[in-house]
Amino acid sequence: MQVIPSICTFCGVGCGLGLRVEGGRVVGVEPQPGHPVSAGQLCAKGWASGFAIDAGNRLRTPLIKEHGQFREAGWDEALALVASEFRAALEAVGPDGVGVISCAHATNEDNYAAQKFARAVLGTANIDHCARICHSPSVAGLGRSLGSGAMTNSIADIDEAELILVIGADVSENHAMIGARMLRAQARGARLIVVDPRRTRLARLADQHVQLRVGSNIALLNGLLHIIFANGWEDRAFLAFRCANEAALRAHVRALTPELTSAQTGVPVLALYELARAYSQARRAFIAYGMGITQFQSGTHNVIAVANLALACGQLGRPGTGVNPLRGQNNVQGACDMGCLPDVYPGYQKVSDPEVREKFARAWGVAQPPAPGLTSLGMSEAALRGEFRALMVLGEELVVTDPDQHKLARALQALDFLVVVELTLSETARFADVVLPAASFAEKDGTFSNCERRMQLLHKAIEPPGQARADWQILAALAERMGYAGMRWASAEEVFAEMAALAPPFSAISHARLEQAGGLQWPCDEAHPDGTAILHRHCFPRGRAQLIPVSQVEPDECPDADYPFCLTTQRLHFHYGGGAMTRKSPLLEREIPAGLLFIHPQDAARLGLGEAQGVRVASRRGALETRAHLTDDVPPGTVSMPYHFREAPCNRLTNSAQDPISHMPELKACAVALLPLPPGQAPRIELERPQEAEYAGL
Amino acid sequence: MQAYELDSPERLRNHLARERLLYQPQADGQGALRWQRLDDPAQPFVVPAEPPVFSAKAFFFAEREALFRYENGRFIALVPEARPQVLFGLAACDLTAVAYQDRFFAVDPHYQARRAATLLVGLDCAHSCRHGFCAMMDSGPEVRAQTADLILCPLAQRWLLLVASERGAEVLAGLALQPAPADWAQQRDAQALQVAVEQGEQEEIALGCAALNGETVDSQAWEALGLRCLGCSGCTSVCPTCSCFAPLQQPSAGGVVQERVWDSCLYQGFQQEASGHNPGATPGQRVQRFWYHKFGEDFRQRFGRDGCVGCGRCDAVCPGGIGVHQVMKRIGEP
Repeated sequence: MQVIPSICTFCGVGCGLGLRVEGGRVVGVEPQPGHPVSAGQLCAKGWASGFAIDAGNRLRTPLIKEHGQFREAGWDEALALVASEFRAALEAVGPDGVGVISCAHATNEDNYAAQKFARAVLGTANIDHCARICHSPSVAGLGRSLGSGAMTNSIADIDEAELILVIGADVSENHAMIGARMLRAQARGARLIVVDPRRTRLARLADQHVQLRVGSNIALLNGLLHIIFANGWEDRAFLAFRCANEAALRAHVRALTPELTSAQTGVPVLALYELARAYSQARRAFIAYGMGITQFQSGTHNVIAVANLALACGQLGRPGTGVNPLRGQNNVQGACDMGCLPDVYPGYQKVSDPEVREKFARAWGVAQPPAPGLTSLGMSEAALRGEFRALMVLGEELVVTDPDQHKLARALQALDFLVVVELTLSETARFADVVLPAASFAEKDGTFSNCERRMQLLHKAIEPPGQARADWQILAALAERMGYAGMRWASAEEVFAEMAALAPPFSAISHARLEQAGGLQWPCDEAHPDGTAILHRHCFPRGRAQLIPVSQVEPDECPDADYPFCLTTQRLHFHYGGGAMTRKSPLLEREIPAGLLFIHPQDAARLGLGEAQGVRVASRRGALETRAHLTDDVPPGTVSMPYHFREAPCNRLTNSAQDPISHMPELKACAVALLPLPPGQAPRIELERPQEAEYAGL
Repeated sequence: MQAYELDSPERLRNHLARERLLYQPQADGQGALRWQRLDDPAQPFVVPAEPPVFSAKAFFFAEREALFRYENGRFIALVPEARPQVLFGLAACDLTAVAYQDRFFAVDPHYQARRAATLLVGLDCAHSCRHGFCAMMDSGPEVRAQTADLILCPLAQRWLLLVASERGAEVLAGLALQPAPADWAQQRDAQALQVAVEQGEQEEIALGCAALNGETVDSQAWEALGLRCLGCSGCTSVCPTCSCFAPLQQPSAGGVVQERVWDSCLYQGFQQEASGHNPGATPGQRVQRFWYHKFGEDFRQRFGRDGCVGCGRCDAVCPGGIGVHQVMKRIGEP
């Protein structure tokens, strides 16, 4: 038995843990006392890490599909096939017709390799990952308002806040160690306010729960600004010296009276005053937000509205303050940082800037694509139009986690070629022509960046099963086969060093420096050799922050006579993403039936629906059957489903209407109809799978 | 008890390590103290200021282990081949917990195979850890007789080595030792008293315990605590006396392997019956049940002592802020 220090591979909090290794496998984990984020604690998912990467159902060799059936293959044969299929697609439709979807679960080194493979080997700008469906509006919105799209402050700032405002984030379930920190702050006297349409655990424990109507975020935030300006509660000095466009914002919210805001949001006028005063008058107020802000067709504007509130009250650039997006995946921050986005290179250097393109063309020895590429949803839409032919997906479970499942499945089937790099035969991998076996986080070296911009080092604890390899190794081998010699790295450390030399915000970071406890927070460069805990202390990257007036936008699809309920989506403490890892724990799998619909008891009574009874849920895009759970977590008229279960995939129902700026789909709101199944009748499970695909070995 | 004076714990440790795998609490460089195998005899032995993240539990009751294989219609038992090992530097609380688990797993061949192969070297605490209340729980701060093979006691200028079992006496063969000064017992007692004073009265534990057994805590109070329980399994994982497990079947070449894995009674599914009925349906009921197992009179009768040994690990590991001190304080409040 040995214990190897590592970083949790689930959410974006980035908790420290020790992998307990015995007989070449991870039998369990220990938490990490002294860790700057997790302080010796873990959530249910973190505690189940050993099961998540268990060898049981892991892929051990590459798989090639023939006549709808997978067969095992060697690396040589599989890579040769992938290379020739990409070459064929490039010849047929050119670089715009191929792309890579990288992985927010993989390391920075893997992600650097993925975007370099796309840009330098395939010559395409089509590189994206699942930040598209979690925080692309944060990158876009905070970029426009403040000049940088990450958490402005650190998780430890919660300890110094006088007020903590949580908007649209189920923190104690999804970012449990941040939720724990908020509760500790509350216990020592901080005021905790939760804005959420659902009565989450944290909302029940909060000092104030503001239960707004789904999708009325901008109305609420503008309404708060109206009250703040009307009462002179704004921070005049901060507005005068640090912000631009104050007059326009004041004029924009002038007519948005509390009565109007109350009517739009469903929040009582008194509660609006209470919240406006508490936030604006707190000496240090920390805003955390999640997908209840971003996953709307108005996602970018929602984020801008949050930034406007913080700027008007001067709650930025100091300890205990900030605008802090809580990122979903362990390395979604890192995948963005590494440039796995169609419009930026590593370190957020813009593709649209010719000097940047020239810099990377020189460094990589290959001319660079002239313009930003397609987003992940853009790629699937182009596939449906026949313009996009070959796709590589690294570790993302698109079939379960992307909106409008039927449409996504049609897009995958419309491709000439799909290669998936995965730990197990995921639902997405079943659609692939070639599946390549990847090493898990415990089986490779590398780094993760958590949501507070903290880069932390992983240590390889065990060997990968069978012939599985790290993503960067797979990509390097494929590059070699496609005639590109610029990815011959000997170690993850070398990948990192190449990246850090090209990306200014990370230029003073190296694997050697990350050996220190707690890692380093970027920007970490010559000017900030020990990293940066708090952004925007003295000025914003663009000089002054921009106050950008934005207006309330209703969800694309609101309840009507045919689809009378508002469906929103959520996550559960016990599960993660498409469930591929957490559902391997017999304990977590036992906790929750495979699929649930949360419904208010009043609505259930009206429908004659009992606890655990089967129910058919239909939207304009698809239907599924699951079981009802009666709870006042949701208000009457609104129902909610988690997205972890392939057996009851809420994303068969969700809407792919998109934010025009970030192309974030509106996962948080659509309209559904409910039909109770006869009591005693089990829900029917229909998996979204290609017709013939089976692999006898799995 | 035979008592010797010892110049350095490393000399004893390296003597014991010659024929056994040796584990000791080691700093991991990242802020944690973990039980690690000693690979380098030059590594110093550092007296822990706080308990290691895990107790000794996992050395005997493995968090994950195969019980049997079913292959071609036959069951094949998979009892571990335990190699001789020594756990060096176990605190009194953790040793009390080992003794408690010895009773629970008395007829468990997997537990007993590892336990029989293990030499236990205890370490008296010279200072209280942050959350500890072993003095009150009668499990420390000095190592209790019958719970270890050898006991180390750090005094101001030197170390005492006490022989606590026959096996402890045997393993010292070949190690040159001086007899301890005549007043060693008084010095040891005085140190233990000092640690007990550091831990204070622990009034909230006493009041909480009385409330729990007097059944004066209403269900609303338990549900208020339950709302803070995430069901993470942290408390039951680090608790040195928790012993619940669940089955896990894994397919293997030609059959299946039946494993057992640590379970947690704070999970909703722990007591869920096939009919759907659940005696621990609400989080409050599950929190109450957990603490009743640690402080309830029935369990004290059955196991000869409380299920809690006062190590305080649950205080440190609980993200809901409902470790032992917080729970006992809340339920003990009038």
